[in-house]
Amino acid sequence: MSLAKDRIGALLLFVFCGAYWYLVYEIRMLPFQKDQAFNAQTMPEALAVGGVALSLLLLVFPGSKETLNLRGFNWKIGLIMLALMVFYGLTLRSLGFILSTTLFLMGGYFALGERKPLTLILASLPIVVAFWALMTQGLDIYIDPLPAFLKEAS
Amino acid sequence: MLEGILIGLGTALTFQNLVMVVVGCLVGTFIGMLPGLGPMSAIALMIPIAIGFDPAAGIILMAAVYYGAIFGGSTSSILINAPGVASTVATSFDGYPLAKKGLAGKALAIAAYSSFAGGVIGALLLLVAAPRLAEVSLAFQSTDYFALMVLGLTAVAAFAGKGQVVKALLMTIIGLMLSTVGTDQTQGVQRFTFGMIDLLDGVSFLLLAMATFALSEALMGVIKPVSDEDRQREMDAQRNLGSMAVTGDEAKEIAPVVTRSSCLGFLIGVLPGAGATIASFLAYGTEQRLAGRAKGAEFGKGSVRGLAAPESANNAAATGSFVPLLTLGIPGSGTTAIMLGALISYGIQPGPRLYIDEPQVFWSVIISMWIGNIILLILNLPLIPYIARVLAIPGRFLLPLIFFFSLIGVYFVSFNTFDIHMMVVFAIAAVVLRLLGFPMAPMILGFILGGMMEENLRRALLINNDSWAFLWERPLTFSILLIAAATIVMPAVWPWLTKLLGRRKEEAGEGG
Repeated sequence: MSLAKDRIGALLLFVFCGAYWYLVYEIRMLPFQKDQAFNAQTMPEALAVGGVALSLLLLVFPGSKETLNLRGFNWKIGLIMLALMVFYGLTLRSLGFILSTTLFLMGGYFALGERKPLTLILASLPIVVAFWALMTQGLDIYIDPLPAFLKEAS
Repeated sequence: MLEGILIGLGTALTFQNLVMVVVGCLVGTFIGMLPGLGPMSAIALMIPIAIGFDPAAGIILMAAVYYGAIFGGSTSSILINAPGVASTVATSFDGYPLAKKGLAGKALAIAAYSSFAGGVIGALLLLVAAPRLAEVSLAFQSTDYFALMVLGLTAVAAFAGKGQVVKALLMTIIGLMLSTVGTDQTQGVQRFTFGMIDLLDGVSFLLLAMATFALSEALMGVIKPVSDEDRQREMDAQRNLGSMAVTGDEAKEIAPVVTRSSCLGFLIGVLPGAGATIASFLAYGTEQRLAGRAKGAEFGKGSVRGLAAPESANNAAATGSFVPLLTLGIPGSGTTAIMLGALISYGIQPGPRLYIDEPQVFWSVIISMWIGNIILLILNLPLIPYIARVLAIPGRFLLPLIFFFSLIGVYFVSFNTFDIHMMVVFAIAAVVLRLLGFPMAPMILGFILGGMMEENLRRALLINNDSWAFLWERPLTFSILLIAAATIVMPAVWPWLTKLLGRRKEEAGEGG
């Protein structure tokens, strides 16, 4: 038996809303804050009730019976792109803007099918350098271009 | 009003702001043309750059990107039958058949003229309507604002379409929930921060908008690539545009259509939550009925009326959606919700006070729409054959660049790499929800209105000595809440009601 798309989504959001509801009671307030008619928990609590109620409603009465069809999707490249983004976040400071961004773009082009080394470089490095120059010179947004170890050496 | 127009002209006609309009129109057209990327993604991508300028220039830039992206979306609808956004789906009904007949150039020209007329008529109506509504809304209190925000959120859900209302409401609540993350502004209490310093200020609106729109759309492009057949179709379409001339007879035929559809589009755009998609479909349907049997039969097969109607309506609706944004501080659509977030980032609170406190922002946005529409026509029409070549850029180069601009746009605001990782998490969640058919616009609307809603409700309770009675005792608040309730109940009740009325009529007919 396959679940309708609406039901899967409702189930996921039910879990999210349930967790949110549980966490509402983890909000720490001072006694006088708790006694106020509208405190930091009031709105989250109302939202949690609303979220749980609506997700249950959708779970019981889905809007459509359409089932999830995941055929024809290229999950591998999707995962590679996600990994590249995480890698970019981890290296942006340590490798500097120019190197980390060039590697990110080259990795992206490569993952999506570009194999010529010269094209990989020409479609990334000039864009990265031009963007860095526009940001630092044109819009006064400073960002470290070089890796941390090179800065320390100089 | 004349003084305001002069202020607007003075601000909008500065060299910097003219450059903003030109750049915005071109960039918007470029991004809007890419299938999958709509005005919301286009504006989200521009926010980090816009924030570097003064508020008037930034908002002018984003407004220009908005109508540029709508125009760009029409181009891909006509050329390759791939609407960039829902609001240009109706454009493809007759635009694409015209392109298949070898009249792509003519279809693009009609779309450009109709968009121009829709935009100009919409801006004219905005000029009249916005100051009036702003004056009236000065009498609004926090209780009314709270009710208006509830109306804005419920209206988005109500217009979501058949079988989508509960999903849209649920997504609105998810957005409201996300808005509660961080330090509570009044009590200084931490909520849902898990002890993480990076979450003390909450989730940034820009991060959420970029992750759920630009990044998730790019991810969808990666996991579901364009087929070779579609690719070939795109290449052929941008090579064979044909003549762009529109004959006198065609102009005469579409003139009344454009006028009617623009007025209809504007009115629909003003309604919170309705927006350009509903306006374009409604205008298409209305014109089909008005066209008579012979002309009506041409709809869907390459009718110039069928192309002009949705094009003028969606542009006028885009302009109309600025009315609630500028006068009440309540966005009428997901796109204006993103613009509201940008205005708040500038420290500007849209609403009736905007008209008084920041007249240069208020008026320059209105005036820039006229200028923008003229520039869109002058620049884009001759440039269409060249801009259309963007469709030939291989996705393997375009998509990594969209990822890069989305990530770096957010990083440049916070300079915190934690935000990049948070974006990845939100993008994954957005892709999953999109695959399951859950809409993202109500979520972003809920997120943006969440903070303001809580603040207004808290203030209303303070003013009313912690009594909730204001919800039914103040007539204006009560009326707005009643309308909000009606917008939720009506979609469910309406089919049943029409069935019942139909049966009564039948019975009466049989009886008589």
